[in-house]
Amino acid sequence: MASKTAIISSFIEAAPPGELSNVVADIKTLVGDDLQSYEPAFKKYHEEQYTAVDVPGGSGKVLLSKYNSLGSNRYFDPTSGNSFAVSFPSLKTSDADSHSPETSNPDLIRSLQAAFSKSAAEHFPSSTIGVFPIGSDIAILIVANKYSPQNFWNGRWRSTYVLCDSGKLSGRIKVDVHYYEDGNVRMQTEREVSGVGGSVGAESVVREIAKAENKFQEELNRGFVTMAEGSFKGLRRQLPVTRQRVEWEKIGGYRLGQDIGGGRSK
Amino acid sequence: MSDPFDAALDLLRRLPPSQTQQNLASIISIAPSLEDDLLSSVDVGLAVKRCPKSGRDYLCCDYNRDGTSYRSPWSNDFDPPIDPDDAADLVPRGKIRRMEEELNKSIDVYRELYYEGGVSSAYLWQLDEGFAGVVLVKKSSAGAGKGGWDSINVFEIIEATSKRSAHYKLTSTVILDLGLQNDAVGGLELAGNLTRQEELDQPLAGLRDAEIESSHVANMGRMVEAMETRLRNLLQEVYFGKAKDVVGDLRSIRLLSEAEQERRSHKEVISKMGGATI
Repeated sequence: MASKTAIISSFIEAAPPGELSNVVADIKTLVGDDLQSYEPAFKKYHEEQYTAVDVPGGSGKVLLSKYNSLGSNRYFDPTSGNSFAVSFPSLKTSDADSHSPETSNPDLIRSLQAAFSKSAAEHFPSSTIGVFPIGSDIAILIVANKYSPQNFWNGRWRSTYVLCDSGKLSGRIKVDVHYYEDGNVRMQTEREVSGVGGSVGAESVVREIAKAENKFQEELNRGFVTMAEGSFKGLRRQLPVTRQRVEWEKIGGYRLGQDIGGGRSK
Repeated sequence: MSDPFDAALDLLRRLPPSQTQQNLASIISIAPSLEDDLLSSVDVGLAVKRCPKSGRDYLCCDYNRDGTSYRSPWSNDFDPPIDPDDAADLVPRGKIRRMEEELNKSIDVYRELYYEGGVSSAYLWQLDEGFAGVVLVKKSSAGAGKGGWDSINVFEIIEATSKRSAHYKLTSTVILDLGLQNDAVGGLELAGNLTRQEELDQPLAGLRDAEIESSHVANMGRMVEAMETRLRNLLQEVYFGKAKDVVGDLRSIRLLSEAEQERRSHKEVISKMGGATI
């Protein structure tokens, strides 16, 4: 069995969207530990889930990720031209300082920010984007959340794209949905997006991304139907082959494979 | 949430349901005093065992377990065998065993009719007032992806003093695990469990013991059939309908400005119609 720290860290990292505080409250009741000792787990969670925090001394939000991390719990925000410190688990931001990230194409970054922001607003009712230079490449991120705890469900969409120097674009889309009314139902899907490339210019890149995401969403909707009509249907019928409910008083007289409408279909 | 047991149950409802077994073990290791209560109240996927005497498969749960031994509903023996003194307390006899045998036979037919495969088992035990039982079904499928269904139906039954009817309380949980892996969608996993309850009075036919026992079996079977059908439909709605709806709420394929424009022109048309005389 893993150590207590490893176990509790894994619980924090697996918290469903919008329910980190519930998971933390449960952990506190179970072990009563000082949460500060799990700072690395909280940091990992927020960087992976693209948690958006308020930009200190600026307007709007910036998401936290490994792509805009400067180490020592400092992150940068290209929009405001600042870097800032973040405390975990409180997520308080502080110590803003001016910061210009190293990048070979600041113009492309700016136009990507503008174009992606516009495109995101057309598809996501609520989202936070991030466009961050990473060496000579550019990371393009989006996180969209929908929380409805009063209806016992929460959802999160995360897209991660890397635009290479060469113009090649690759990425990954992750969707996580949790429904918990008298139960616990979790949908998790992950899809690689690749081979989208040769794009020149921010508008074109953003168009490619929207296209890939539309395609993914359509395939996902089809995937639900495939599952419903395939593996789900193959588990339990709605009614027996006789199209009638069981006559429980007479069930002693049923002879399997004979009386039951021709027996098993396969 | 100040009670550790409630916190543990809440935590298990938040963490990925496909990992309930591991998470349960992890929680027990950090809060060992909760072990017995958690093991008897948390539903996990059912294990299958082969009964050495009858050669038939049966399902394992806390209700037919003693230490690391499990009781087969077909042979009524524990495998591996247990201490005869313990067996005297745990192995049902008489009325309870007769009902248990009949219930297993009936549920076996029910399973074949609805599941066309799979494994089922039923276990009954005496209570101070009335008796209790569990009906289990396990089925796997491999269609365009993988699928697993585990249902756990727990009964509490109290006969009226007149013996003309009895009160049945049923708590049912279905654990469902679905997966799809292909180029189009990438990886898609839908896993979870839903629990529902039902309580009602049903008549007991006949006066002789055998007739009353058969009546109980039929009444239990009827409730399991209705409940499992209800859960199956609810799962279909929740798993596919709801998941799809939430994804649609997160992102719209259609441009939001277009949708908004359409909403506005609809509103205009309707408000213009409101002023017209019919």
